[in-house]
Amino acid sequence: MSFKTTEAHEALRRRVREFAETEIQPLAFLLDKENEFPADAIKKFGEMGLMGIPYPKEYGGAGLDVLSYAIAVEELARVDGGTGVILSAHVSLGTWPIFAYGSEAQKQKYLIPLARGEKIGAFGLTEPGAGSDASGTETTALLDGDHYILNGGKIFITNACKADTYVVFAVTTPDIGTRGISAFIVEKDRDGFSFGDHYDKLGIRSSATAELIFNDVKVPKENLLGREGEGFRIAMATLDGGRIGIASQALGIAQGAYENALEYAKERVQFGKAIAHQQVISFKLADMATKLRAARFLIYSAAELKENHEPYGMESAMAKQSASDVGLEIVNDALQIFGGNGYLKGMEVERAYRDAKICTIYEGTNEIQRIVIASHIIGKAPKEEAGAKKKKAGAVTGERKKLILKDGSPKERVAALAEALKKDGYDFTVGIDINTPIAQAERVVSAGKGIGDKKNMELVKALAIQAGAAVGSSRPVAETLKYLPLNRYVGMSGQKFNGNLYIACGISGAGQHLKGIKNATTIVAVNNNANAPIFKNCDYGIVGDVLEILPLLTAALDNGKPKTPAPPMKKLRRSTPKKLPPVWKQHICNGCGYEYIPDLGDPAGGVPEGVLFESLPEGWTCPECGESKDQFIEL
Amino acid sequence: MYCVRKVTEDLYWVGANDHRLQLFENIHPLNGVGVSYNSYLLLDEKTVLFDTVDWAVCRQYIDNVKHVLGGRKLDYLVINHLEPDHAASIDEILLRFPETKLISNEKAFMQMRQFGFNIDGRYEEIAEGDTRSFGKHTIAFVYAPMVHWPEAMVSFDVTNGVLFAADAFGSFIALDGVLFADEVDFDRDWIDEARRYLTNIVGKYGPHIQALLKKATPLLPDIKFICPLHGPVWRKDLGYIIEKYDKWSRYEPETDGVLIIYASMYGNTESAAMCLATKLREKGVRDVKVRDVSNTHVSWLISETFKYSHVVLMSVTYNLGIYPLIHNYLMDMKALNLQQRTFAVVQNGTWAPKSGDIIREFLDNELKQITVLNDELTINSSMTPENGIEMDGMADSIIASMKKD
Repeated sequence: MSFKTTEAHEALRRRVREFAETEIQPLAFLLDKENEFPADAIKKFGEMGLMGIPYPKEYGGAGLDVLSYAIAVEELARVDGGTGVILSAHVSLGTWPIFAYGSEAQKQKYLIPLARGEKIGAFGLTEPGAGSDASGTETTALLDGDHYILNGGKIFITNACKADTYVVFAVTTPDIGTRGISAFIVEKDRDGFSFGDHYDKLGIRSSATAELIFNDVKVPKENLLGREGEGFRIAMATLDGGRIGIASQALGIAQGAYENALEYAKERVQFGKAIAHQQVISFKLADMATKLRAARFLIYSAAELKENHEPYGMESAMAKQSASDVGLEIVNDALQIFGGNGYLKGMEVERAYRDAKICTIYEGTNEIQRIVIASHIIGKAPKEEAGAKKKKAGAVTGERKKLILKDGSPKERVAALAEALKKDGYDFTVGIDINTPIAQAERVVSAGKGIGDKKNMELVKALAIQAGAAVGSSRPVAETLKYLPLNRYVGMSGQKFNGNLYIACGISGAGQHLKGIKNATTIVAVNNNANAPIFKNCDYGIVGDVLEILPLLTAALDNGKPKTPAPPMKKLRRSTPKKLPPVWKQHICNGCGYEYIPDLGDPAGGVPEGVLFESLPEGWTCPECGESKDQFIEL
Repeated sequence: MYCVRKVTEDLYWVGANDHRLQLFENIHPLNGVGVSYNSYLLLDEKTVLFDTVDWAVCRQYIDNVKHVLGGRKLDYLVINHLEPDHAASIDEILLRFPETKLISNEKAFMQMRQFGFNIDGRYEEIAEGDTRSFGKHTIAFVYAPMVHWPEAMVSFDVTNGVLFAADAFGSFIALDGVLFADEVDFDRDWIDEARRYLTNIVGKYGPHIQALLKKATPLLPDIKFICPLHGPVWRKDLGYIIEKYDKWSRYEPETDGVLIIYASMYGNTESAAMCLATKLREKGVRDVKVRDVSNTHVSWLISETFKYSHVVLMSVTYNLGIYPLIHNYLMDMKALNLQQRTFAVVQNGTWAPKSGDIIREFLDNELKQITVLNDELTINSSMTPENGIEMDGMADSIIASMKKD
């Protein structure tokens, strides 16, 4: 073993370097200044067959190894950090998930043009509330017949707007954390899919970065990547590999800065000799070269592991974290060597200084990389009461908008509510019989005890007619007050509402009632008690007297014409993702059948929760029968 | 009077049948089908007996062994598995045949001492992979730990391809004259009891069966006979039974179908179960099996859960909890490592229905890779037309989840 790249690797390096130096370098200053994407150069790079380096030839790739890909990113980043990440995001993030998890049809349709460089790929995971913690993902994908409907948005997306296909992560089953996330292939030209303004970034300004905005984007069912619920796993596996790309980018940026500094140090004469020959600078250069070599070995070794299908998650995290951390030190030293000259716009080292910083932040901050590395050597930390769990206990009906309309007069608040509902897609020119069985009704207007006297039920019925809804009630209204027949009360013990719009009038929101409406798409609450639990379980709420609000809302929804019959209810079904096998291998004792489960650890044996079998201490024995570790079978 | 059958050249079945045993392992009802305890005697330059039988049939067994020996001495007794339904007669053999030496592994000898057998000076210890020649026949010993018990091993006659498989490939049902699986319609008359035997007795140890199958793969072309400790000997179509074992031990369903298990105190949940079964049939599901938990022994429920891809549990609420027999089923399922099934849950209750929520939580948290469909159906005492609409939705979800990805 010689720890050397092959001649083929070096030939590729020369080829990419020549391309970068002739096609990118002359433009780099302008691209940086103008925030401009090097579209022509990327097209050319694709024509050279280099946009799909690590993918098989039969899928349009170059059929080369992961190390070749790392070298290509490194060489592009050496002259321009932004161009490096265009390739990295395209290959590692936008293309790899389709290569690894796509069906044959998806590969034929999407992988081939991506690998050929005819199309550009991107990856959408990050959201305002879901950075390092993907369980905060709020973009939703609801299955509606043959399509998923995507709503929400993604931020900080590399290649946004320039890419043709996007691997996007969205919640298909709410309230179950990362298990409810699925991955989708979304094409650029889908209706309702748009982009925010380009970010004005500190560095890597030649790469395009923007928001993705999904507004009722219809994505065909066959664009689901992998299985429902598999999204988080796909994202994590993708980022494992993506880290090799970012590490290479950091390495390339630092390499370029180092070479510039070295050259400058040899030319710049002070005190009668080149500063390179002055010890303080020579030591800097020596340190820079050492750091580069160490980072390069970490990256190449991770790439080799990946290529050979060996575990590489920890090694790629080490490579990314280390290369980007020392990258910052190297660009800092390089600029220092340049002195005041390096501080000027137009200097490559000045650009490298800015470009390098992002590498410690994106595709998993270096803090997250350390969590990944630590989890490999120590095991997962013991479970804490997760924020998501607490939230779940709070709202019986799951995640809701909880938009309480407070501003303006009652009339203005009602108008705002009607507006919001129409914006959500509710058509109030159609209606159903107010006696439609609750389980079949797309909309229900329900009365609680807050409705007061029986004659006020007329207000509820009037609202139901204008809202195109059936009439329902809480349990006491049917059972005790007998305003409605027993089969019209909604709740855990009564009828379950599975439709879309539920308007609760004077209902405080007892637990058993809320359980009956948790499948509702939209819950509206009208109640005079601002502390009623219903307000923590609704999408829209108006605090006020039902006797005042209901007539206002009835009027606001009245289009002056009789309602036309509603089309058959389109139930937005919440599907159940299949449970996936655990990510760790099973280990079972040959002496007794005991299974070691990392989630539980072996507290009696001094092993905390989260320790993988592989990491159990030397001398650990089966807690049930005392067999040694080598007597466990692996599955 | 002896009662034996020839398996192949030099090898005889000398076991016995038991019709008087009501409960196998004192838990699994045999319902009159009985069970056989198989033992095999090899006549070579040395005489070699493979395993013994339950104490209940020891007299018949001694007659059989003596007859086949025909006056020769018994040189060796190989013990593949020490569970007393096969090992209880060891002491008797050692007493009756004073020159016999035991051949087995270290763990088995330790267990023999625990059971109080007097084996001192009477045994030869072998280790994994050892071979012993008895003249014409050479036997190789392969450990099969936790294919039920830790000492379990299988013995393979490399001369003629006979595999003494211990508890693997066994079945309930007494042989009653049958010796070979190809003498009966196994797939029609035996498979259900074979499944019930395997899944209830060894179900938990699927990974160990997988490990054994993996170890045996290179030998497969050489295996001509599989001689289990219960049920018939396999000499034809070995792939049939091996494939079944492979599926069961990977916890993979045999059939895309729905098993409905209900607990009903006064018939209302039963009625709901009938409605659901009818809806599923109407919607085209070809295999729907309905079982009343109160009159179906849990060993059948387990066995059928291994068979079917989908299970619907319909339980009344009992003391604010799960109906005890459903609870028993769930606990057994957990103990037997049952996994990778899709469940739907229906609860009934008259004042506070909640059995379904508890069942759902158990399935989610205590079992492996069980997908519980989102659809929830709560019956308040008895089905209403509105429940019928919800049940339609549930049936649709079940059918949708049966479609392969």
